[in-house]
Amino acid sequence: MANQNAVRGAVLSAIALCFGVTALRYPIGSFAHAGAGLFPLLVSALLLLLGLITLVKARFEPAKPIHFAWRNIGIILLGLVAFVVAAKVASIVLGIVLLVIVSSLAATSFSWKRVLAISVALIAVALAFQKLLGLNLQVI
Amino acid sequence: MDVITNLAFGFEHALTWSNLLYCAIGCVIGTLIGLLPGLGPLATISLLLPLTYSIPVDGALIMLAGIYYGAQYGDSVSAITMKIPHASSIVACIDGYQMTLKGRTGLALFTAGLSSFIGGTVAIVVLAFLAPLLGQVAFLFGPADYFALMLLGFVCVSLVTTGNLLNGLAMCLLGVLLGQIGTDLESGTLRFTLGLTPLADGVSVVSVALGCFGIAEICRNLDAREERTPFNGKIRLMPSWPEFKRIIPSALRGSVVGSILGILPGGGPTIAQFAAYAIDKKVSKYRHEIGSGSIEGVAGQAAADEAAARTSFIPLMSIGIPENAVMALMMAAFIIKGIQPGPNMIAKHPDLFWGLVASMWIGNCFLLILNVPLVRFWLSIFKIPYSVLFPSILFFCCVGTYSVNNNLDDVLITAAFGLLGYILMRLSLDPAPLMLGFILGPMLEENFRRAMLLGRGSFKVFVTQPISATLLAFIAVLIGVQIVSAILRLRARGPSPGPAGSRDQEAAPAAMIKTPGG
Repeated sequence: MANQNAVRGAVLSAIALCFGVTALRYPIGSFAHAGAGLFPLLVSALLLLLGLITLVKARFEPAKPIHFAWRNIGIILLGLVAFVVAAKVASIVLGIVLLVIVSSLAATSFSWKRVLAISVALIAVALAFQKLLGLNLQVI
Repeated sequence: MDVITNLAFGFEHALTWSNLLYCAIGCVIGTLIGLLPGLGPLATISLLLPLTYSIPVDGALIMLAGIYYGAQYGDSVSAITMKIPHASSIVACIDGYQMTLKGRTGLALFTAGLSSFIGGTVAIVVLAFLAPLLGQVAFLFGPADYFALMLLGFVCVSLVTTGNLLNGLAMCLLGVLLGQIGTDLESGTLRFTLGLTPLADGVSVVSVALGCFGIAEICRNLDAREERTPFNGKIRLMPSWPEFKRIIPSALRGSVVGSILGILPGGGPTIAQFAAYAIDKKVSKYRHEIGSGSIEGVAGQAAADEAAARTSFIPLMSIGIPENAVMALMMAAFIIKGIQPGPNMIAKHPDLFWGLVASMWIGNCFLLILNVPLVRFWLSIFKIPYSVLFPSILFFCCVGTYSVNNNLDDVLITAAFGLLGYILMRLSLDPAPLMLGFILGPMLEENFRRAMLLGRGSFKVFVTQPISATLLAFIAVLIGVQIVSAILRLRARGPSPGPAGSRDQEAAPAAMIKTPGG
């Protein structure tokens, strides 16, 4: 299993590099007249430094295991994507139903009755939001 | 007295029927959502933000503030009754839960409620006196000073909330970088948009908050797969007279500590609670009982919690710089409603400012007369199984992000931030400093550029201004102490903890936050 401290340093450095390299493509300017790229470049350089320090420190510290479970976060994200796609193609009602069905897969148990009940309740809430609070949900 | 006329003016605005209603709704919904596992003030505020979109500005601000301290109170209730802590209510778990184990839940809840009321009242007096004064000071601030103040905020927040300067600062910087996404205001260059049109306006703060705090939190609860037994004990609220007398002194102590610590950069409820608890442990007449479920252990920290929650509005409303992540989110919410918090807010919108201050006290009363007696009903929200709760929370996340711009693509951005938040959580990185960095990022850049322009491209400008030089010196001391203590710890290389000193005390709370949370 990977060492959490080392992975943290690596992830931070990688993010810093992504932002820093992209920032180089923007006009840098001078310190007196900073371009669009100067400030993000400075910040990502600092972040890279912190990431590298974390990496070095990880060598001296006892390793910590990393617990990463893809299943639940994957299901939740899938549910959100399903909501967006369904709401764009068909209607927000279908989106809510799909969101509830897909995300319920992450629960300890699955029951169609429960899914149906939650969906109906949430559609009612959405309708109430639209009518009472004036949110543009286009339920109907 | 200026302050009294101002407060009277504020009450005039806050005591209209509609504003009273918004305040009550905010308090109640905030308490309810704050009770839910895994939803602290940050997630609660961003979830409930859409409720305020169609409300007039003054009502919306009042409701937001109500949601905030409602959530704060709800947090402490779940901590006392079920030992479900948040970073913002971790201390309430210690003595509060011990009291529950002894069958004195009602007394603990009453103590927390009454102490919150006392703390809130003291804090509002401080707020009414100090905010306009500090507002005058803020006019002396130049760009370099603002820049240094924000940096000091980053360092303090990193130390206080995560206890680890390295991780906290990294999160702040990541937040600043994420805040750079979108159009550069000075040159119009599109930055870091990956060619996606919805990113041209930048990432919405609601997406970041709901992703990092809502969705990531849901996944943490799902991963843990623990079933919580709802609280079923009896609640007898009214204390006896000797018990009542014990509440007052430590609540007053807590109020003072909370009011002071709430103002400092990086301060806020969490650190205030720990400080008040520590002081009670040293000073209180009943100090030998603290830790095993004593009234003082609950009263002091609850008062400090509530006092700090309110005084942390002072830097936001008088200087315009939020001092912690929750206040940063508040600032974003203010801006969504078209109000730029800062010294000009007091001058230009006195009705909003004083109305908000007065409504805080009214909200205090609502918490005391509404939520404390009704808490047994609110607790029934825990009878709802999590398998019903979490799809609903997800739905509210979707509605919340969608209704910022009526754009469905924003929901996808929220999902992406959910993934980021989950990864950060699994790497033991706290997203709260990220939130602060994200919201302050654009201001940080603007002030940096302006200061450098004034200083003709030389970094000397940050050292020659007295205010910014002082603030930078503070930062240098804080970082220096951290580095020295880290080196000493490396030298010692043993199980013995680091060197004695003030740093140790500040590191301690963060260590305690880690243990039950993870």
